[in-house]
Amino acid sequence: MRLSPDRKLDLREVLDGLEHYRPRRRGWVWRRRVESQRLGPFVFRDTSAGLARSVPLPAAHAFGDIDPQCDVVLTTEIASGRFEDDLRRMRMAAWHGADHIMVIRTTGQSHIDGLIEGTPEGVGGIPITRKQIRATRKALDAIEDEVGRPINFHSYVSGVAGPEIAVLFAEEGVNGAHQDPQYNVLYRGINMHRSFVDAAEAKRIIADAGILQLDGAHNANATAKEAWKVTPELLVQHAINTAYSRAAGMAPGLIALSTVPPAAPPAPKLRLDLPYAVALRALFRGYRFRAQQNTRYIEADTMEATVTHVLDTLVSRLTSADIQSTITPDEGRNVPWHYNNVAGVNATRQTLMGLDGLLEQVELRGDGSLRDQAREITERAVLFLEEIVERGGYYAGVAAGAFVDSGYFPERRGDGIVRDPAGGDGAGTVIRRAADYGAPVCSHFGDNVYAQGPGKPCDDLGGCTLCDDGKIRYVGELDAEDNVERRLAVPLAERAAGVLRPEVERHGDGVVCVTLFVPASPPVAEAAALALATRMGLHAPAVISRRVMHPAEGSVLEVKGVLDAAVRIDELTLPAREEPLPEAEIEAWVRPRGIHVVAATVGEDEHSVGLHEILDLKHGGIEKYGFVCHDLGTSVPVERILDAVERTGARAVLISTIVTHAGVHAAGMRRLDESAAARGLRARLVLVAGGTQVTDALARACGMDAGFGRGTTGHDVASCLVRRLRALEGA
Amino acid sequence: MGCVERADDFAARRAHLRALSDAELHARFWSLVERIVAPLIDEARTHTTPSIERSVLLRMGFSSVEARALVAGMGERGLLARGAGRLVLELAKARGVSVREAGLALLDGRGWEALAR
Repeated sequence: MRLSPDRKLDLREVLDGLEHYRPRRRGWVWRRRVESQRLGPFVFRDTSAGLARSVPLPAAHAFGDIDPQCDVVLTTEIASGRFEDDLRRMRMAAWHGADHIMVIRTTGQSHIDGLIEGTPEGVGGIPITRKQIRATRKALDAIEDEVGRPINFHSYVSGVAGPEIAVLFAEEGVNGAHQDPQYNVLYRGINMHRSFVDAAEAKRIIADAGILQLDGAHNANATAKEAWKVTPELLVQHAINTAYSRAAGMAPGLIALSTVPPAAPPAPKLRLDLPYAVALRALFRGYRFRAQQNTRYIEADTMEATVTHVLDTLVSRLTSADIQSTITPDEGRNVPWHYNNVAGVNATRQTLMGLDGLLEQVELRGDGSLRDQAREITERAVLFLEEIVERGGYYAGVAAGAFVDSGYFPERRGDGIVRDPAGGDGAGTVIRRAADYGAPVCSHFGDNVYAQGPGKPCDDLGGCTLCDDGKIRYVGELDAEDNVERRLAVPLAERAAGVLRPEVERHGDGVVCVTLFVPASPPVAEAAALALATRMGLHAPAVISRRVMHPAEGSVLEVKGVLDAAVRIDELTLPAREEPLPEAEIEAWVRPRGIHVVAATVGEDEHSVGLHEILDLKHGGIEKYGFVCHDLGTSVPVERILDAVERTGARAVLISTIVTHAGVHAAGMRRLDESAAARGLRARLVLVAGGTQVTDALARACGMDAGFGRGTTGHDVASCLVRRLRALEGA
Repeated sequence: MGCVERADDFAARRAHLRALSDAELHARFWSLVERIVAPLIDEARTHTTPSIERSVLLRMGFSSVEARALVAGMGERGLLARGAGRLVLELAKARGVSVREAGLALLDGRGWEALAR
C-alpha cells in the first residue's frame, strides 16, 4: 500500500486483504539522533533525522522552510471511537512530527473477560480487536513510508484480559503498551490477585516482543485532589511496577516511567515540579522516561492548557525525557478534535525546537532548595514504603487506603482509595498451578513443565504463534450491524460524489466552532451567544469555553454546533492558479533583454520584508533571472515610482502594500494605475501588487495586471512578468 | 474510608533517614520495594488465571472465540490447574491427532472425559 501526498487515504485499500497482512517489524523504535545538525542557517544540538514529507512550523518560511525534528519521540493520543477516522488523524499528526500514536480503548473494555473481535464502534476510544489493530498497523506502515520515519503504535494491556491482549499486540506488531497492575487495582476495581498474576504473564509477553512498557503512575496526578502532594507515592507506584516488571523478565531499556509535572499556574509550577522531576530521575537511573503533560487542571481554555504544556515541556528539557507526550489543548472540554491533536504536537515541537541546546547554557543547581526538596520527596517515599511493609505488604496497604490519599505523606487525609483484596472484578479466578502444570508456548511466565528442558517451550507443540505467525487465527467480523462496512457506506458514497462537510472528529460530523465576543454580563452573553449560533443555523449549539473579559463589558465565548450543510466540489469556483514557467525558460527570456523593474512599498507603509524576498538574489528573488531591479524603499509616493519608470525605461512596477487600514492598499493600487495612464505609460507597463492582504482578484479590480498574497515566491512573480511582457510584445 | 487521618510528622519520622547518604537512601528505597514485590511475583509464578490460559491457547493457534469456549469448559470442570495448553496437547498426543483437531473436538463436545482422568 502506497500513499500519495495529494490523495486521501483509501480506506477500502486498508481493509482489503487484512486477513493476510503481517506487520513488517516488531518492537519499539527510537528516533535517530543527529549530532550538530546543520539545517538552513542554524546548527541544532538536540535533533534527529529529518522527515521526507511534513508540514513545518508556521514561522519556518522565514528560515528557509527548515523543519528540524526534535531528538525525543513525540506522542499523540487518539480516541474518536472509530478507527477508520483515527487513521486520517494519525496521518495528519505524522506530518506534523508525531511518531508515537497512542490509541485509547473504548470505555468498559477493561471489564471484558476475553478479546473482542471485529470493528464495533467505541465510546471515548476504540474497542481493541485484532482487525482494528491490523488495519491500523497496515495504515501506519504506509504513513511511515510517506513521512520517512518509523511510527510507534501503542495501546493498553490492562483490564481482565491483559495476557490475551499482550499476545495480540506481540502478534500484530504493536510497539508500545501501558501495563501496570496498580492501575487495574486502584482505578478499575479489578481484583488485585488477578491483576498481578495476569500482569506477570503480560509483561513477559510484551518484554519478549520488544514492546516498550509505560506504567500508570501518572493517573495518581490526574485523580488526586491535590496532585502536587502525591509525589512521594508516585515514586512508590513507579517502583512497584518497575521492580515487578524486572522480576517478570523485562529489560530496563523497555521500561518507561510515565511521569507528569504535577502542578499548573497560578501554582508556582516549576518550583514544585522540578524537585520531583529531579528526584525521580535520580532514583530511576537506567530506565526510560515518558514525560506526559498535565491534564489535571485543564478546563475549557485551550490557550491556558497550551501554556501549562509548554512549561511541562520545559521541565522535560531541564531534566530529561525519552518520549514527550502531548495532550490536546481541548481535552478538558470534549473528546479531542483531530486538528487539536495537531495543535498539541505543534505546540510541543515548537517548544522543543525553541529550547534546542538549552543545557549547553544553563544547568540545574545541585544545592539549595532544589536539592533539599528532591531529597525530602525521596525520604517521604521511603517512609511510605516502610509503612507498606509494616502493614503487611502491598495488598494490605491498598486495603487500608494507603494509595491516592491527598495528604503529603506521612500526612494522611483519610481519603485514599480502598480496595478489598478478596473483592473486585475477577475475584476468585486465580488458580494455584498443579505440580504438572504446563503451557507449551513461548513468553510464558512462571512454573511450567515445558520450560524445563533445553529447547523452546513450544517445541512439543511444533511452534507457537510467536515463532510461526502462520498459525495465528484471524477473526473478521462477528456483528453484522456494528462494523466498519456499515459505517463506511455513507462516507465513501459522499466522498465519491465530491460532497464536503466540516468535521472535527469523524467524517461528516458537521461540527463547527465559532468564537463570539458579546458585550454583556456573563449570563446574558452566554444566552446571547447560543441564540446567535442558532441564528447562524447551527444545531445543538453548546458553549464550550467562556472567559470573562470584564463583568459588565463582556465575555468571549466559543460555541460549537452542527452545521447541517454540505457543498459539492464541482459547484465550487476555485481561484485559477497558473503553474509558473520553468526557471531556465524565464532566465533565457529575461537576461538578453536587460529588463528593468521598479519596486517600492507605497503610501505611508514602512513594511518591506516581503518585497525584499521577491527581489533579492540571495532570497531567490527575481534578480536571479536577470531582471534589473530599482528598489526605491518604503513609503514611496506613486509619482516618484513613475518618475523612476521614465528615467530607467522600466517595463514593470512591483508595489508592496501591507497596511490595509481604511482600504489604503486598494487606494494605492488605483492611484498607480491612474497616474501611469495619465502619463501615457500604462500600455507598455506591467503593474503588479503584493502584500499579505492582497489577492489577485482584488489587485485586478484595482487596475493592476496581477496581485500576489502570502506565500508568493520570486519564481511566481518572475513567471508572471514574463508571461505579461510576452503578451505585450505579441500585441 | 481510607487511612486514619494524621498530621505531617515527617520531621520526627525521618530521624533514622537523616544521616543516610543519597546512595544509601536510594538503596534503602529499592530494598523495601523488592520486599514488597517478592510475594506478588511468587504468587504469579505459582498461579494462573482464565486470561493466562486463553492467552496460551491463542499462542497455540486457536482463535479468541475458540479459546474462550475451551477455557470456560475447563474451568467448569475444575481442570485449569494443569494448564489449558497442556490439556489440549496431551489429548492430541493420546489421540494421535493435531492440537487443532483435539481442540476442535472438545469444542464439539468430544474428548472431555479423557481430560478429566
